[in-house]
Formats: sequence, structure tokens, C-alpha cells
Amino acid sequence: MAAYRADDDYDYLFKLVLIGDSGVGKSNLLSRFAKNEFNLESKSTIGVEFATRSIRVDDKIVKAQIWDTAGQERYRAITSAYYRGAVGALLVYDTSRHVTFENVERWLKELRAHTDSNIVIMLVGNKADLRHLRAVPTEEAKAFAEKENTYFMETSALEALNVETAFTEVLTQIHHVVSRKALDAGDDPLGLPKGQTINVGSKDDVSAVKKVGCCSA
Amino acid sequence: MSPAAPIEPTKKTLPESSSSGDLSPERTGLENHRRFGDLRGVQWRIDLGILPPSSSSVDEFRRVIANSRRRYAALRRRLLINPHISKDESNFRDHVMDNPLSQNPDSMWGRFFHKAELEKMVDQDLSRLYPEHGSYFQTPGCQGVLRRILLLWCIRHPNYGYRQGMHELLAPLLYVLQADLSRLSQVRKQYQDYFTDNFDGLSFTESDFEKTDDITTQNNQSKLNNFHSLDPKIQTIISFSDAYGAEGELGIILSEKFIEHDAYSIFDALMNGDKGAVAMANFFSHSQTGIPPVIEASSQLYHLLSIVDLSLYTHLVELGVEPQYFALRWLRVLFGREFALEDLLVIWDEIFSLDNARLTPSSESESELNSGVLKSTRGAFISALAVSMILYLRSSLLATENATSCLQRLLNFPEDVNVGKLVKKAKSLMNVAIDAINSVHGGGARFKRSKSRSHSLPSDPGAAPPGSPGVPESYWEEKWRVLLKEEEEQKQANLHKHVRNRIKGWSERVKMRLSRTESARLLSKVSQIKTGPTQSQPQLQSPVTVTKAMAMDESHEAASVFSDAVSHIDMEVSSVASNSSVNEVASPLPVSDPPEEIFNKEGQSDNSPKLGENFRERRVLSGKFPWSWMFARNGNEGSSSTSEPVFEFDHSKNGMAIPSSSSSSSSSSSCTTSKPEVVEQSLKNLARSMIENIEVIESVFQQEKDQNDPIENFVGRGQFKAMGALKELRKISDILSQM
Repeated sequence: MAAYRADDDYDYLFKLVLIGDSGVGKSNLLSRFAKNEFNLESKSTIGVEFATRSIRVDDKIVKAQIWDTAGQERYRAITSAYYRGAVGALLVYDTSRHVTFENVERWLKELRAHTDSNIVIMLVGNKADLRHLRAVPTEEAKAFAEKENTYFMETSALEALNVETAFTEVLTQIHHVVSRKALDAGDDPLGLPKGQTINVGSKDDVSAVKKVGCCSA
Repeated sequence: MSPAAPIEPTKKTLPESSSSGDLSPERTGLENHRRFGDLRGVQWRIDLGILPPSSSSVDEFRRVIANSRRRYAALRRRLLINPHISKDESNFRDHVMDNPLSQNPDSMWGRFFHKAELEKMVDQDLSRLYPEHGSYFQTPGCQGVLRRILLLWCIRHPNYGYRQGMHELLAPLLYVLQADLSRLSQVRKQYQDYFTDNFDGLSFTESDFEKTDDITTQNNQSKLNNFHSLDPKIQTIISFSDAYGAEGELGIILSEKFIEHDAYSIFDALMNGDKGAVAMANFFSHSQTGIPPVIEASSQLYHLLSIVDLSLYTHLVELGVEPQYFALRWLRVLFGREFALEDLLVIWDEIFSLDNARLTPSSESESELNSGVLKSTRGAFISALAVSMILYLRSSLLATENATSCLQRLLNFPEDVNVGKLVKKAKSLMNVAIDAINSVHGGGARFKRSKSRSHSLPSDPGAAPPGSPGVPESYWEEKWRVLLKEEEEQKQANLHKHVRNRIKGWSERVKMRLSRTESARLLSKVSQIKTGPTQSQPQLQSPVTVTKAMAMDESHEAASVFSDAVSHIDMEVSSVASNSSVNEVASPLPVSDPPEEIFNKEGQSDNSPKLGENFRERRVLSGKFPWSWMFARNGNEGSSSTSEPVFEFDHSKNGMAIPSSSSSSSSSSSCTTSKPEVVEQSLKNLARSMIENIEVIESVFQQEKDQNDPIENFVGRGQFKAMGALKELRKISDILSQM
């Protein structure tokens, strides 16, 4: 088990999802965060794409497993699998296209319908670099975020503005939720740190299963 | 597009892939012997059923093509109306319904706004289409053609609408037609004289001026003589361009004017599948009732993988790499994202060249809404290709112990791949793939049989009535569908259709046992097994007897515990079980064994055959029967005690390679000795399922033999033993089926 840990060492694995209308820049936010890359000529996402990156949060190593999906709303063959186990979400709109902001409400609804109530949500207004084309005032988005009790940030994947901050903030908040839960829950097994239940890649799961196997053998 | 729309010649913008001539056999390792091999646009239209078979006359081609162009023109006129313009044309418009404020979606304005909405969505994707070939695909002319085709198709098929990915399915089609045109202009340059009777006569005049009258006359005379000595392919191209042939200009087969019309017809045929099994539109739909076809197809890929390379399959399932996460994209754009355009065309050549007619026209199963999305030779090839792609990444996938990394690898397929090899590999898997696709279906059929049997116990032994009296087939269809839906909603793991069927089958057998027999009688049968009451028992017993008997014992105890309650809940049990089972498949595997870990970490399987053999042997043996683990897990979910016996049995199988179904069915046969006909029936079923299982195992062995890979080519003592055991089993099942 130690061997697996060595090259992939982390304390928590958090699944984040990127949602929002088609063309708001989800994939570029992701590639900016995961690989520090930006591609003006990126293709539209078909199905799901994945990326990971580990960052340090409060002296713990947190690995973010980020799912990026096609923005088209009716494109939903794998909706439930997409949201399953997500503990954080970046709900992205395009500050230069108001309609993408209008749709945020619908995305939020879908998100809340499919995820745990403790999920950390951040509203992200991307393409902040297109200042002369701004169609969604910061105040409007901020007010909405407050009303819906989500975090809020304006970013530019192109200029690498706030991208790092946005992801880090979400991951930190998740970590706080997890730690708080651990404290609150005490011995309650149901309330154990989320980090453990969502440790998808962890070998702990396997060893747990293995024990069952051994007993019955 | 107006005829003059600026579509740049492909040759300039896409040097590597301009004409099919560049895709030489050496490059792809594939040879194309077909008549229109150098004219993809024509060949694909034949393959996709738009044009008549390639043996037809050119005139026939021209008639068909002219008709399809007429249809498209009419469609475009009808659907892409501009309400502002058409005002004058139609005198009898209803202004109550047709005004811009009308809420009626069927009104002209309603359609106009709907179209505008759709157009935005389409443009959102078209602007990001093939940026690497942007100088062709991003030109206004090309974008306009693509937009109109997509809009028309989507308006025409409102139940699908526009879905992301459709644009990438369409783009290569247009591209191929464009490549045909540049081939034409190439030939035209080279054999200019043969084209002198051009419709507009321009080239004729020009050459008239350039040359002296004598030479022109000579040329015209020698032209007729020489034409038949030309390369037949050149002849074809020239005859395709004869403006005086059938249908006149509308019938010119390679015509830039009608490139949009032609692209639409290919796209439409590809989406609708020409009444065959593989209809690309399916992969974009999400049915409300059952699982979406694209998910079903994804699990079929995994099913094939499980047959071809169980250890890799087990590895992926263990990590929780669900097939739809990557196969969704593979299937929706038919591998368009995984390969460079020129490679993709080669792959599509292969895919389209295969027959799309449904294998074994299924009668009863046709009611299943989405069944068999890949159930044709073409579909089998698609799944075989997908599996060969997974196999291509085999060692790097096995070396990864992390689901996300696996998916990242699967979704970033290497660009330098040799497509020819990949296609060859896929072809070598074709037979297995066809069997796999049929067996998925067979599983369903078997499942149905046992269903009706367990509930109404028909007394005629030979028949397996599709719908037994009293229980209408549709009832079970419905129930099955509801179950599937529930599962889809709360699913925790792999949606492996085959697995589901197996689990289902198992729970059905349990149900059969439980509903038919008292626990006391069950227990008495256990002793019967020990003493071997039927002809087959003594042979079966040999080394396994003890464990099996124990197994039976325990399972019957379990049965007696919840025989009353279970008959109604086992449906739920099985659905829950399949949710969790795949994740837990790991349990019988020797996960903690050090050598295996080492292998996983270090063994790039190709380089370390020795180590790999060991690894594989163990993996394969312990992993040979994933479905039986499913059974074990299944039982575990329902009642902890049932899982154990089956599990025990698994262990015995690891040494003996006895098909999984024999355990449960042998017990069911012993349970019913009091009803001779039923016994006969169940023995027959038993034999059938044994044979099916044996065939599965044999095909696995066969597959391994066929492999060239040193690791694949594992022929050890264990395998000989297993083969021997298999032969024995075959004999037994033959005897059984004759009884």
C-alpha cells in the first residue's frame, strides 16, 4: 500500500465539477488550473473530461479531481454519474454573455438536486478580460451569489486572473467543511470526514473489501 | 451555399490529407480494393445505402443522386424560411397565427425563433470546429454549409435536436466530398481533353484558342479511342462529370454546386443508420424509459473487453473506470476526437464498409426499446475497435492505480498510433465481438425464459414460450425497464448489461428454488447431491464435491431463512446488488499479494513477460469468472449467508474451470425431481447454459492462443488442465442436453 502512496501522496481527494453553459470557458479554466495552459482554439467538450491537481491547504495535501463536462443542457446521459460524490462545484458563466448568467439558476437547481447539501459552490464569472464586452455587472452576480449562499469570483482563464484563487478557495472551504464535520460528528460513523468517503483512488476501500473476502473464505 | 462560396481547395489547406491517394497502403497497412476507393464520398454513399451498389450503372447513380439533391433542396426551401421574405410569396398566410408575437411554436415565426435559438447553439460549436484545420472548416462558406445542414437535420428531427458532437460527425463528411472534388480537378488538369464537352463549354473554348485547329481535331478523334484505355478509375471520374448524362447538371456526381446537398444525405444516412443497427443519432438520445443507448453500447464494449482481456477489464472495473466516461465521446463522434482527421477517414472507411443489417432479426426482443445498438457487423467492428484501442493502452492502464489517470489516458489517445495495426487488431476481434454482442442478447432471452418459467411453470418441456399465459411479456418488460431506471438513478457502479443479466439470472434461479420448494425438502436434496442421484452428478463431483456440497448446504439454509420474504424482494435485491457488485469484485482477488503489486507498479507488461505470465495466470484464474463474483456479491447484499456458498464454489472453480451457472442450476434440478417434465426442462436449460458458458471460456482461450503478444500467448500447464476440464464439461453437457 505504501508503494501506491509514494507517487500519489495526498491527504484528501476532493471531486469538483465544472458546470455552466456551453462556451463559457470551463475547459480553459480547468486547463489553466491543472496545467497552466490556455487555448484560444479549444474544441467543445464532448462527454466528460478529467484533470487532477494537488495543492496544499492548511498543511494538508488536497488532491482535486476535477470533472469537466459538455455545457449543453440537454446533454445529460451521464448526469447522475457526473455529480455523484462531488463535494465542490464551480458554476461558470460568461461575463460577456448575459444569457449564460440567466441560466445559472437552472444549473444551480440541477446541482442541488444531485449533490449533498454540504457541497461548496462557487459562482464564477469567467472571461473578465473582455472588459469592453461586459454584459453582467459584478454587483448583479455578487447579489445573486449572496442570495443563493454561494461563493463568488470573477476570473479570466486567458489572463490567468483569479483562476488559482477560485479553485484554492473552493478546496479550502471543502477542507473546512470536512474538518468541521469531523469535529461535530465525533464518533458518529455517518459523519466521518468526507475526505475518507470520497477517497476514490484510495486503497483503503479495497482493503476493506478484502477483509470481507477473507472472512468468508 | 451559393455556388461561388469560397471553399478553398483542400489540397492547399490540408496538405497531409488532401486526396485519398496520400493514404497509401504502406502508411495505413490497409488496402482498398473497392471500386471507388479513391473517391471516398462516393464509396461512403454506397456503403451507407444512399447510392445503389457499386455494380450499378453510372446513369443509375446519377438518377439517385439527383433525386436526393432534389429532396434536400425542397427541404431547405420548406424549413429554412425567412418570414420576412416569404411574406410576398404566400398569399394565403394566416396572420392570426403567423405574426412575430404568436406563441404558437408551429407558426412560421415560432419556427423562425426556434431556428434562431438552434442556430446560436450550433454556431457555438461550429466556431470551435477543427481549429487545427481552421483554414478550411472556419471559412464563412464552409461554416454556412455546416450550419444549414445541422439546422435542417435538427429541425427535421425535433426529438433529437442539436447535441454537441453532431458537428464533428458532419465535418469529415463534407471534407471527404471536398477531397473528391479536388481529386476531380486533379484529373481534370491531367486529362483536360476528355472534359472538353463541359456543360458550360468554357474549357472547350479556351483550349480552342490555345491550340491550332488541326491538333484539336486530332485530339477529338483520338479521344474516343483512348478513353477506354485509360485507368478505369479515371474513366469513372470522367463519366461522373458528364453534364449531358442522365439528369443533366443535377446528375453530375462530383459537383461542387451540390456539395451541401450531398453532405446532408450522407449525414442523414449516418445518423439514421439506413434501418440498420448502428444509427449514430441513437448515441445522442437519452431515452426516458431505459438506459440511454450510448450507455448500453458502452457496457457492451466492456463486455467484449471482459471476454478478450479479463485482467485488464477487472483492473478497470476495480478502479471504478466506468466505460461511458470515455466511450461516450468515442461513440458519439465515432472516434473523431481520438484520431487525426486523415486517420479517422481510414477508420470510417472500415466502419462503413461493414454491413449494418441487424444480426439475427430478433422477433420478440424487438419490443425492448433500445436493445442492440451495436447489433450488426458494423456495430461489432465499432466495439472491436474500441476494445483494441483499450488494449493498445493496456500496459499503461495496468500500471495505473488511479481511475482519473486511466480516464485521462483513455481520453488522450496517443496521436502517433498506427491506425492500420489498430484496425487489424479490431478485425481479429471481430468474431469474438459478434459472439459477444449476440451473447448479450442471448443472456436477455435466457433471462426471460427463466422468468416466465418460474412464475407459471408451464408443463410443456420443450418450449420456452416467449410470453407465458397469465404473465404478459410486456409486464416483465415494463418491470425490467423500471428496474433499469431505478438503477440508473442510484447506480453506484458499472452499468454492465451482461452482468446485470447474469445477476438477474441468478436471482431468478434462487427465486425458482425458493418459490417451488420447502426448505425441508431442499435440505434433503443436499444429501441427494452428495450421493449423486442423477447421471451427471458423479462426473461433476470429482474434486469439487465437498465444497460444492457444503455450498449447497449453506445456500439452502439461507434459502430456508428467507424463503417467505424473498420472493417479492429479490428483484430489488438484484438491482441493489448490481449497483455495488462491480466495485466489490475485488474481494476474491489476491490484492495484497506482493508480487502482483510489484507488477502493477513496475511491470510494463510488455517488457516483463515472465513476471507478467505469473501475474496473468493468477489474475486470469482468479478473475476468470467475474459473474460468479457478482453472484457472490449479489447474495451478500440480499443475505450474508447466501454469498458464502457461491463464493466457496468460486474457489473450487478457480482450479477447475467449471462454468458458474452449474452450481445454481444443478441445485435447481435436484430440487424438482418430483416433477419429471420440469426436471427435463431444467436439465435442458442447464445443459444449454453450460454449453454457453463453455463457449465463453473456449473463446477466451482461443483468443489468448491467437494473440501474438508474448504475454497473451500464455499456454501453461494450467491452461491445458483447464482445457481438459472444459472438454469433460462439454461431454457432460452434451449428455445432459440429450436426456
